[in-house]
Amino acid sequence: MRISSFAGASALALVLSSGAFAQEASLDLVEPIAEYKIYVSENVAKLVEDTTAFVAAVKAGEVDKAKALFAPTRVSYEAIEPIAELFSDLDVAIDSRADDYEKAEADPEFPGFHRIEYGLWEKNSTEGLEPVADKLLADVKELESRIASLTFPPEKVVGGAAVLMEEVAATKISGEEDRYSHTDLWDFRGNFDGARKIVELVRPLIADKEADFLKTVDANFDTVDTTLLKYKDGDGYVTYDKLSEDDRKVLAAAVNTLAEDLSTLRGKLGLD
Amino acid sequence: MLDPKDLRRAPRSLDRRRLLQGLGAAAIGGSLTGAARAETEHHSVADAPVANAASQLDHVPYVGVHQAGVVNPRPANGMVASFDVLARDVDELEALFRTLTARIAFLTTGGPVPMLDPKLPPPDSGLLGPVVHPDNLTVTVSLGASLFDDRPWLKALKPTHLQRMTRFPNDALDADICHGDLSLQICANTQDTTIHALRDIIKATSRQLILKWKQEGNVPVVLPGPDGRAESARNFLGFRDGSANPDSSDAAEMDRVVWVGPEDGEPAWATGGSYQAVRIIRNFVERWDRTPFGEQERIFGRAKMSGAPLDKPDGSEFDVPDYAADPEGRATPHDAHIRLANPRDAAASANTILRRPFNYSNGVTRSGQLDQGLLFICYQADLDRGFITVQRKLNGEPLEEYIKPVGGGYFFTLPGIRDAADLVGSSLIAAARGA
Repeated sequence: MRISSFAGASALALVLSSGAFAQEASLDLVEPIAEYKIYVSENVAKLVEDTTAFVAAVKAGEVDKAKALFAPTRVSYEAIEPIAELFSDLDVAIDSRADDYEKAEADPEFPGFHRIEYGLWEKNSTEGLEPVADKLLADVKELESRIASLTFPPEKVVGGAAVLMEEVAATKISGEEDRYSHTDLWDFRGNFDGARKIVELVRPLIADKEADFLKTVDANFDTVDTTLLKYKDGDGYVTYDKLSEDDRKVLAAAVNTLAEDLSTLRGKLGLD
Repeated sequence: MLDPKDLRRAPRSLDRRRLLQGLGAAAIGGSLTGAARAETEHHSVADAPVANAASQLDHVPYVGVHQAGVVNPRPANGMVASFDVLARDVDELEALFRTLTARIAFLTTGGPVPMLDPKLPPPDSGLLGPVVHPDNLTVTVSLGASLFDDRPWLKALKPTHLQRMTRFPNDALDADICHGDLSLQICANTQDTTIHALRDIIKATSRQLILKWKQEGNVPVVLPGPDGRAESARNFLGFRDGSANPDSSDAAEMDRVVWVGPEDGEPAWATGGSYQAVRIIRNFVERWDRTPFGEQERIFGRAKMSGAPLDKPDGSEFDVPDYAADPEGRATPHDAHIRLANPRDAAASANTILRRPFNYSNGVTRSGQLDQGLLFICYQADLDRGFITVQRKLNGEPLEEYIKPVGGGYFFTLPGIRDAADLVGSSLIAAARGA
């Protein structure tokens, strides 16, 4: 709790100092944004902890252990992805994909989680991954150190919920993110939780005026939850290839509809 | 009654008046409807769009006994988009049809686009500016077999001949561009209008439709000949396509060839509909361009430049070949495309189809060749007797060396939207509720 109140107070101070009072609406958002910053801080702390263990396994050459830790380690990162544009350099370093590089998997620039995922699943080896793993841990620690002093513009946070749904709709729903491990459903869990968290935080501000809107959004989040639940396996999820075509369609429609609806959330809160 | 040709020559003030009429909902069923009908009477589906004649104000009524976009002439641009449908029950399907009808009504009629608070995403993409013009737009809604097969409450109502497209011997079907629960054929004078319509519909139906694939195409525009008659458009193999199409302005012929009637052994709700066969047919154009001219003509069975049948080399594309006088296949080889597809005997008239194709040009293959071909679309009252029978006759034709069907699907085009109060698919919904 000490961490929370500290992060909350600092977030409040930052919002106050960054001139976010341009509109009345922003004033109401101070508390939700501060709470969101706490949520992010907690997730990043968890990310550092999990990545430390994951990287240790990679460096020790423990392929099976590293594979087992890969998906759960990523969940906390996927949950804070709505605001990844606030640290885009680190997002590239931590979570970019082979497609982002000219020589794809063979490109020496290809970094981060997915570079390690490629080695673990495609090569079944940790060979040559030590420097990549070291860099990954350094990057998530850098992220942690930045969060405390990072300004969270309300329109970026609120807009982030829609942006993440856009990303899921455009480049995740097809199962292309975790293409070597097929652990995409774990990522989905993190993505939807992260987006829903933002909706929950601003809910009191629009509960009266936008009851129908919230009902629709809730229904689509619930559809996602119900669908993902069918694929639960222990603490996590089965591989993406087990997702039925019908359920993939249900998820795709829910994601597109959430993207469509959440794209109005900024405007509904009076943010420009 | 206003003649559309006169309108085209009319001074700007008249054009402006027509625009204003076009924007009012009251214009539906009014003089514009008459104008558009008059136009249909003078042109056939196969005719190429006439150069310099298209106007943003061209308007095809979306209401009628049959859906628009089947027997009216092709405008220069066309597209087929295929979707998965989510609807779990008849209420959800009706909601989808309601949304589609509302969007079709607006998009094909035109009008100012709605504006909202600038803090919100705009309800219209703005591709066409502040006022949407009809631009000859038609949006034709058809249903795939999977929509019926996957839903017990709809299964019994499936049209008799509706089936999932299966592979013909020369096909190399790519699952990513095949089939679908629902197809939209979107046609307009300009590509911007078809794309605007597609984006509008996708935005309005995200809860209910998931885009599966789409293929865009176009028809080359031509100048009419000295006799005023427009010639058939050429495909990407350089041959005229559609010369032997039935006359789409002949209502009785269309009732026979295209439209499902009450005596066709179809569910009652399907009367007024049609079967739509879509085929994405890649053309190996580099290889074709390296094929001798004479061989190209023998493969098609027509003179390449004039389109005349080979037994009437000085004639025109509208001359009918006399195969009875050529039993040896000396003028027109027996395996020529047009002779196989339509032997011009009494039996063949039962297999007549109405073709409404567009050429497509997509990009470059991994082998560095052009990805071009034909977005083949045809309509018929009986899918088995129509496209499937004709394609079976073509199996093994010499043209196969140069073409490769890679995608498409079979769909049932819903009966028309009767009036402004009706919904597309209302007869199916009523039947599903009654069952």
